[in-house]
Amino acid sequence: MTTLLGPIGSALNKRGLTLAVALALVVLVAAPLATILVQTLYPSSAAWGDVLASRLSQNLFWRPTINTMIIGLGVAAGCVLLGGFLAWLVVMTDVPGRPAIAFMATLPFMIPSFATALAWGTVFRNGRVGGGGGLLEGLGFSVPDWLSWGMTPTIIVLIAHYYALAFTVIAAALATVNGDLVEAAQMTGASRKRILFGIVLPVVTPAIIAGGSLAFAGAVSNFAAPALLGLPVRMQTLSTRLFGMIEIGQTERGYVLAILLIGISAIFLGLGNRMLSGRRSFATIGGKGAKPRRFALGGARLPLALAAWAICILTTILPILLLVAASLAPSSLALFSDWTLHYWIGDADPAFARGQPGIFHNPQLLSALTTTLILGASVALAANIVGILIAVALTRQKVPVLSNLVSQLSFLPMLLPGIAFAAAYIALYGAPIGPLPALYGTKLLLALALTAAMLPFAVQTGRATVSQISGDIDEAAKMTGAGFFRRLGAITLPLAARGLAAGLLITFVNVIGDLAITILLYTPTSPLLAVLSYSYASDGFHQFANAVTLVILIISMLATGAATLLRGRRRQSFT
Amino acid sequence: MISLDKITKSFGTSNAVSDVSFSVPEGSFLVLLGPSGCGKSTMLRMLAGLDQPTSGKMQFGDTLVADGIRGLSLPPADRNAGLVFQSYALWPHMTVAGNIEWPLKVAKLSTEERRARVLEAMEMLSIEKLANRYPGEISGGQQQRVALARMIAPRPKVMLFDEPLSNLDATLRVEMRFELLKVHAATGATAVYVTHDQVEAMTMATHVAVMNNGRIEQFDAPDRLLAEPASAFVAGFVGTPAANLIPIENGNWFGTMPNPLLRDYSGHAMVRAEQIKLADEDGPHTFEAILAEVVPMAGRFLVTGIVNGIRVTAVSDQVARPSGRLRFRFPSAPAAIFDKQGTRIS
Repeated sequence: MTTLLGPIGSALNKRGLTLAVALALVVLVAAPLATILVQTLYPSSAAWGDVLASRLSQNLFWRPTINTMIIGLGVAAGCVLLGGFLAWLVVMTDVPGRPAIAFMATLPFMIPSFATALAWGTVFRNGRVGGGGGLLEGLGFSVPDWLSWGMTPTIIVLIAHYYALAFTVIAAALATVNGDLVEAAQMTGASRKRILFGIVLPVVTPAIIAGGSLAFAGAVSNFAAPALLGLPVRMQTLSTRLFGMIEIGQTERGYVLAILLIGISAIFLGLGNRMLSGRRSFATIGGKGAKPRRFALGGARLPLALAAWAICILTTILPILLLVAASLAPSSLALFSDWTLHYWIGDADPAFARGQPGIFHNPQLLSALTTTLILGASVALAANIVGILIAVALTRQKVPVLSNLVSQLSFLPMLLPGIAFAAAYIALYGAPIGPLPALYGTKLLLALALTAAMLPFAVQTGRATVSQISGDIDEAAKMTGAGFFRRLGAITLPLAARGLAAGLLITFVNVIGDLAITILLYTPTSPLLAVLSYSYASDGFHQFANAVTLVILIISMLATGAATLLRGRRRQSFT
Repeated sequence: MISLDKITKSFGTSNAVSDVSFSVPEGSFLVLLGPSGCGKSTMLRMLAGLDQPTSGKMQFGDTLVADGIRGLSLPPADRNAGLVFQSYALWPHMTVAGNIEWPLKVAKLSTEERRARVLEAMEMLSIEKLANRYPGEISGGQQQRVALARMIAPRPKVMLFDEPLSNLDATLRVEMRFELLKVHAATGATAVYVTHDQVEAMTMATHVAVMNNGRIEQFDAPDRLLAEPASAFVAGFVGTPAANLIPIENGNWFGTMPNPLLRDYSGHAMVRAEQIKLADEDGPHTFEAILAEVVPMAGRFLVTGIVNGIRVTAVSDQVARPSGRLRFRFPSAPAAIFDKQGTRIS
């Protein structure tokens, strides 16, 4: 049979592919992490002392860590409550408009957190740090600092962003317990309360822990929200501190903070995992399953529906509308009057916005737009190609040790806060390696880091696609004598096309909405849209920041919509 | 005793169950048999108290458990009934012993009583060794035993089964049929068992209700279903192999060959496989057929051939000739005749 396969195909059919992807993963993931650790220890480990035990450590590490932990725990609790509440409403009750609520509740995750943070500012900002107040001050209310800046708004904005994660995980778990498991308990005559505490909650607990620890990990690594809402009042988190250290050139201290941030995030994800693995796999056997019974809400039906809709609208549509209004209103105090398109298409006018032209007359924006689109597309492509190769290697070739390594390394970036990961890239590729030039400040470095960061998602898409095309189908083609590449082109790719396209689009959306990695690695000559929006916002040009954010949002929404369409149709055609 | 009086269940405008009445004595084993979507699972859920009938009355012994018109429906726990789900519905976060014990805890039994009952139920199904395992760690057949043990531990007077064996492989299914009958005999409770597998109905039931389109086609003992099917649907659904239903047109087999005993009926004639012989040459009541398959069974052969596009099965002692052609000889009179609507007319 080997003669029928091409020479490359036969090499790949053995363990070559696994070896190749393992090598790529070492370069993309393992090496930067190893480097960052080494560079903080060698030639000198003084940075560790500075950060952990010196006069500076209070400001450098301890206070940011406490803030980070408060944010992480607050966001995790908030996400579980909000996501759990919505999941319960959608899966277990007869609340009206369930499919729409379920759809809306997954959207906030698609809106970059800096968009929500900016939208918060349009309403709650006070004039304390300059740049004018927001809508509430405009209406004559005096907004206290704690509501404008710092911890409270950061936590609220991050809950609004991450509760979608908790919702998805908890809703899936509730759906498995609803139906037979609950009915079996009803047969015993147990009261509703007893069923809730004896059956439903215990079965859903793993999902609650998983949702909570994912939200925690997301919140502690988030950069945009604490940077936009906390930095103006000097509230530092580990990620903003890390950013600050690298920006002022104290890279070793930055690296130490990056390692500590990775540690904190990993400890909590690990704790969550440990609590989960202590429990048995809760997979239930599929039966034809009775129609899930819906808990009749009775008189509470309308108020609860209103609450659910309020949550969904407050976290999805309203922020976008606020951003639109704020990008049109010359005065941040009066969002809905004197609208002008100046901030979008106006020419430079010394009387207006300190002479800044509208974003579409700003050559920087146009270059940022093209850079973002090209970068997004190339990273999506690269990540998904590597992702599908990894998926093929993992499902079709079982090489001892190596396969395990590939699987672990490809999942690792998921656990790494973006900004810490970016710091690791600076550590490794910032200086020349042998004949290779330093990559710091080039788009290639940014592209590499983003590709590595998107790998966990890409591998997951790849695995779903590869496993969808069962081994049988491939073997049926093998029986005809078709070679590896022939099969790939004629069988695997056509079948996988839709899934891959959807995966590409989602990766693309994640890339263009990313700020944590790009803020450290962008090239000053052609920044990305997200970075541009951030720098406008930190310079106090809120209308421009909002307008740029809207451009990102529009691109994201188009891509997400296209991905949803592709996914939806794919599900019908192959099962 | 379970008795149903004109039970109807509608979802919106369509009836899942229409006008079902029957009664079975205490200790009997009733099987609700029918194809998927015939309403048998809805019937079971109404017996369990998980669904309420739209109209009609339902009695367990002297207790009225549901009355559709008055909107009365006793909650599941007050019916003294237990249910085994098709998916087993074992609670994944409790051990095997925990699963069996939980309903007893809800029923507020004392600790010693619970321990004794759990042990008894596990012994009856030989799963004592699994007591501390979780449902995710045991095989499908073992999970089935746990589900049974959990159902019998509270000692229900009515045991309900919703296609409990359909997730098991063929060998286990035969083994579990025996276990189920053992449990039924040991407890003396009345069993209602839903299945689409006529073999299960024939082997386990004391009474069978054959359902189709939400109605009962026939309510009878298993052997009566075979001997005297009330409709073409029943005749074609039960028996191994099921009886042949030969189309007849104005007193002609297949509309072509006249037979005085068919009179001038149109519809279907029931001919059992054992009434059909393989013939060597043409004669009265013989039909040319194309050989479709031969299934060896208990020392004899089920020979199936295609006659005028209809599959006809005969039981024979010898294998058909290898030529691929064969001849069936029909009996002079069919065992039953059904009209075009499937109603029995002779």
